[in-house]
Amino acid sequence: MIDVILSTMPFLLDGLWMTFKISLLTIFFGSLIGAVVGMLRTLGYAAIDYPLGAYIHALRGTPFLIHLYIIYFMLPETGIPFLQFEAFPAAVIALSLYTSTYVAEIVRGAIQAVPRGQGEAARSTGMTALQSMRYVVLPQAMKLMIPPMGGVYVIIIKGTSIVSVIGISELVRAGEQATQRHPRELMVIYGMTALMYFAYCYPVLRFARWAEGKFGGVRLPS
Amino acid sequence: MDWILDFYNYRVVGQYLPEFARGVGSTAWISLLALGISLSVGTIVAIMRISANPILWRIAAGYVQAIRSTPLLIQIYLIYFTLPALPLLGRRLDELEGGVIALGLNAGAYMSEIIRAGIESISRGQIEGAQSVGMTYPQRMRHVVLPQAFARVAPPLLGQTAVLIKDSSLVSFIGVFELFGAGLVVLNERLMPNEAFLTVAACYLVIYTFMLRVTEYAQRRLGGAAS
Repeated sequence: MIDVILSTMPFLLDGLWMTFKISLLTIFFGSLIGAVVGMLRTLGYAAIDYPLGAYIHALRGTPFLIHLYIIYFMLPETGIPFLQFEAFPAAVIALSLYTSTYVAEIVRGAIQAVPRGQGEAARSTGMTALQSMRYVVLPQAMKLMIPPMGGVYVIIIKGTSIVSVIGISELVRAGEQATQRHPRELMVIYGMTALMYFAYCYPVLRFARWAEGKFGGVRLPS
Repeated sequence: MDWILDFYNYRVVGQYLPEFARGVGSTAWISLLALGISLSVGTIVAIMRISANPILWRIAAGYVQAIRSTPLLIQIYLIYFTLPALPLLGRRLDELEGGVIALGLNAGAYMSEIIRAGIESISRGQIEGAQSVGMTYPQRMRHVVLPQAFARVAPPLLGQTAVLIKDSSLVSFIGVFELFGAGLVVLNERLMPNEAFLTVAACYLVIYTFMLRVTEYAQRRLGGAAS
C-alpha cells in the first residue's frame, strides 16, 4: 500500500495543481461576472432585472454537467470561430458562469442588506449614484460578502471534479488514471483523492465560519 | 422553417421521446430513493449532532465536514467501487444501488444541518411541557420536537431536494441510465448535441421550476401555522 501511495502521489499532486489553477481562474471570472449581474439587479429596472433573473434561474435549474456539455459540445457545432473552445477554456467558462449565479445573489443580498439611509445620506451630501455605491454602500456590503464567498469557493473546488469528463487532468481524472495502473488499489487511490480535496476545502470552510462570526453575512442561497 | 430543423431537429427529439421519458422517470425514482435515505440519515445525524455525548456529536460533525469538503463525484466513486470490497456485503453493488446510496449519504449531510436548525428553533417551553407530562426523550422527539421542526424547515428541505435532483445527473458517470444518460444516448447515436442537451436541460428546468413552486407553496402553508 505504501508503495502505491508513493508511486501515485506525484501524479495526483499534478492533478491537484490543475484543480487549483481552474478553481482560482473560476473564482476570479465568476466573481467578476457575478458582481456585475448582482449590482445591475439592485438598480430595480424591470428591463434589466427580468433577463438577468432568467439567466440565474436557467443556470440554477439545470445541472452543471449540462452547462459543460453545451459549452464544450454544442457551441463548436454552431461553426462560429469565436465559440470553438478547447477543453480547458470551456471548463473555466462553464464553471465561471455557474459560479456567477451564486455570486450575483450574494452581491445583491449584501447590497440590499446595507440600510437604505446610508445610500440616501451619501446622495444628499452631493455624491453621484456611482460615488455613493463606491465609497459608502460597497465597503459596507463587502464585509457581508466575505463569509458566503468562502462557501462559493468550496462549491467551485468541488465543481472542478466534474470537468474530468471532458478530459482535463484534474484531481479526479488523475485518480482515474492512477487506478488504471493499480486496479486493485481503488480504495487507496480514491481515498487519497478525497483527502486531497478535503485538505483544500476544509480550511476554506473553517475560514468562512470564522468570518461569519466576525463579519456576520448574507446567507448563501442553496 | 429549415433553419429551425438545422438548429434543433424536433423530429429526432420526437423519435427519442420514449428515451427521454424513461430518463425523467429514472431520475425521479433515483431522487426519491436518495431522498428517503437522506432524510433518515439527516434526522439521525442531526440528533447525534445536538447530543451531549461528545463521541456522538463528534462523529456527526466529522461526517458533515467530510461530506461537505469532498466532491460528490468522489463520494460516488468511493462508494460504488469500494463498498463491495468490504466483506460484510458479500456481493457487488449494482450501479443504481451505489449511486443512490452515495447520493443519499451526500444529501443527508446537508439535510442534517437544516434539520438541526429546525430542532434548535423549537422553544424550550415545548420541551419542558413535554417533560412535565412525563414524556421520555424519544417520545418528546417523536411527538413534540420533530413534527414541529420538520414543518418549520420544510421549505429549505425542499430546496435541498431540488439540488439533489440536479446532482443525480452525476450517477451517469458510473453508468446509471437517467435523464442525462438519455441525452448521451442521442449524442452517441445521432451525433446531435443540440437536440440531446437542450432537451435534457429543458426537462431539468421544468422539474426545477416545479420544485420551486412546491417550495413556495410549502412556505405559504407552513410558514404561518408553525411559527
